[in-house]
Amino acid sequence: MRKLEDRIVHAVMGLFCLVTVLLLAFLIYFIFRESLPAIREVGLKGLLLGNSWRPLIYSDAPSFGMRNMILSTLYVSALAVLFALVIGVGCALFLACCASGRQRALVMPYIDLLASIPSVIYGFIGLYIVVKFFEKLGRATGESVLAGGIVLSVMILPYMISSCCDTMVQIYERFRLPSRAMGVSRWYMASQLVLPASTRGILISMALATGRAMGETMAVMMVMGNAIGVPKLLGKGETISALIAMEMGIAEVGSTHYSALYTAGLVLMVMLFAINIVFERLKKKLAKEGKA
Amino acid sequence: MKAKVWLVKCWAILACALTFGTIFFLFAYIFGKGASAITWEFLTESPKGMIIGTEGGILPAIVGSAWYTGIACLFGAVLGICTAIYQVYYCRSQRTAERIALVMKCMAGVPSIVMGLFGYTLLVLTLGWGKCILAGGITQGVMILPFIEVRAEKALREVEGDLVHASYALGVSRAYTLRRIVLPRCLPQIVSGVILGACYAMGAAAPLIFTGAVIISKVPEDVMKPAMALPYHLYMLLTQGVSPENAYGTAFVMMMIVLVTNSLATWFTWRKKV
Repeated sequence: MRKLEDRIVHAVMGLFCLVTVLLLAFLIYFIFRESLPAIREVGLKGLLLGNSWRPLIYSDAPSFGMRNMILSTLYVSALAVLFALVIGVGCALFLACCASGRQRALVMPYIDLLASIPSVIYGFIGLYIVVKFFEKLGRATGESVLAGGIVLSVMILPYMISSCCDTMVQIYERFRLPSRAMGVSRWYMASQLVLPASTRGILISMALATGRAMGETMAVMMVMGNAIGVPKLLGKGETISALIAMEMGIAEVGSTHYSALYTAGLVLMVMLFAINIVFERLKKKLAKEGKA
Repeated sequence: MKAKVWLVKCWAILACALTFGTIFFLFAYIFGKGASAITWEFLTESPKGMIIGTEGGILPAIVGSAWYTGIACLFGAVLGICTAIYQVYYCRSQRTAERIALVMKCMAGVPSIVMGLFGYTLLVLTLGWGKCILAGGITQGVMILPFIEVRAEKALREVEGDLVHASYALGVSRAYTLRRIVLPRCLPQIVSGVILGACYAMGAAAPLIFTGAVIISKVPEDVMKPAMALPYHLYMLLTQGVSPENAYGTAFVMMMIVLVTNSLATWFTWRKKV
C-alpha cells in the first residue's frame, strides 16, 4: 500500500514538473511562431535597425523598424541601474557593516515591501511627483527618459540592496574578528575591505536589476511619454514593452503589425538573455582572478 | 585615506536614509491623499458618471482582481510547489535538478508583457477562449509560478537532512516522510511564498491588458467573461485623467492589500523562527 502511494505521489509530482518545463517550451515556441511572418517579410535587419515605425496600413509604405525602442529600453535601464547602484550599494554597505543580524532581519521586510508595490502605483507617483517636478523646473513636458530612469531605479532598488547586502554580510563576518583584533575601525574596514571585495556580488545584483528594469512595462509607459523618436535624456521615449502594451490592442490579428509586435517581445527576451550571459562571463572571469 | 573613509561613511548613511525615506514617503503619500476618497459607496458601487470612473466606486475591479489573483495562485501554487518537491525529493540525478533550476531562472526572467503576449496567442486566440478571467488568471499564474517555486524550493532545502534520512532509515516511504515530517516544517514559508505571489499577481497589469482586463464591466460572475482589475482600472483613470480623487482611492486600496499581504507573509515566516 505504502509503495503504491509513494509511486502515485512520485508520478504526480513528476507530471506537474513536466508541465512546468513544457510551459516554458510552449512560451518560447509561441512567441517565435507568431514573430516569424514579420521576420520573413521585413527581415531581421530592417526590424532591428530601421529607425521608422509606421505600422498603419493607410500610410503607403508601412515600416517596422524598432531601433529607437531598443535604444530607449537600453537607455532607461542603464540610467535606472546607475541610480540604483549609487543608492543601493551605499545602503547595503550601511546595513551590512552597521546593523546587527537582528536589526537587519527587522529592517529587510520593509525593503522587500518596495518590491511588492505594483508598478502601476510607481507610475502613478512618478506621474504626479517626478513628472510634475520637471514641469515645475520649466520643461514643457516632464515626461522624459530621465523621469523613467528615476522611477525605475526605485523599483529595482530592493533587488540591488538585498543581493548586495547578502554578499557584504558574508565578507564582513569573515573578516570581522581579525580586523577588530588589529584595531581597524568599522568604517575603515567597510571602505577598504568590504567594498572592494564585493565587486562580484555587486555585478551579479546589477545583472538581476538590469533584467528587472528592461522587462518593466506599466510604470515606464506612464512616465516616458511614448513618442517614437530617438530617445534623449530630457526628451520622450518609448520602450519595447511600452510599444507592445500600447499597440497590441489596435493591431489586427495575423497582420504584419501584429507579428512585428511579437518580434519586439522576442527581441526583448533575447536582450535579457544576452545580458545575463555577459554578466555570467564577467562573474566567472572575476572568480578566476580571485576576487571572491 | 582618512578622507576616503569619511566619504564612504557619509555616502552609506545618506543612501540608507534616502532608501528608507522613499519607502516611508511612498506609503505616506498614497495613504494621506487616498484616505479621503475611501467611503462605503466607493468600495461597494460600480464606476459611474458621464465619463466612466468620475463617480461611483470600484467594486467590480476589487472582485475582478480577487478572481484573477485566486486563479493565478491556484495555478502557480500547484505547479510551483509540485515542481519544487519533485526537484528536491524525487528527482534522482543532480543534473536534472540543475536543469529544472535553469528552466525556473529563464521563466522568472521573462518580462510580464511577454507573458501577456503568450497568454494572448495561446489562450485567447489558439484555444479560442477570448478575453476572459480564466485566460488572464492563468497568464498571471505562469508569471508567479517561478516566484513561488524558488521560495518553496528554498524552504524544502532548509529542512534538516538528518530528520529525513532518519525517517528513510526506518523504512518510511518518501511520500509519508514528505507528508508528516517535511511539509509541516516548511509549510509557513511555502504559504508566505504563495501570499507574496498573490500580491505580485494582484498588482500586475501588463499580463492582463490583452488577456482579460476591460475598462468597464459588471461584478464578474463567470470565469469565461472578461472583468475589470484594480491595476488596469487605476491605469485607465490616470491616462484619461478623469478623476484624480478616485485614482488616489484605488491606489489606497491596492497599497492596503500590499501592506496586509506582506505583513501576513512576514508574520508566517517569523512565527517559525521564534
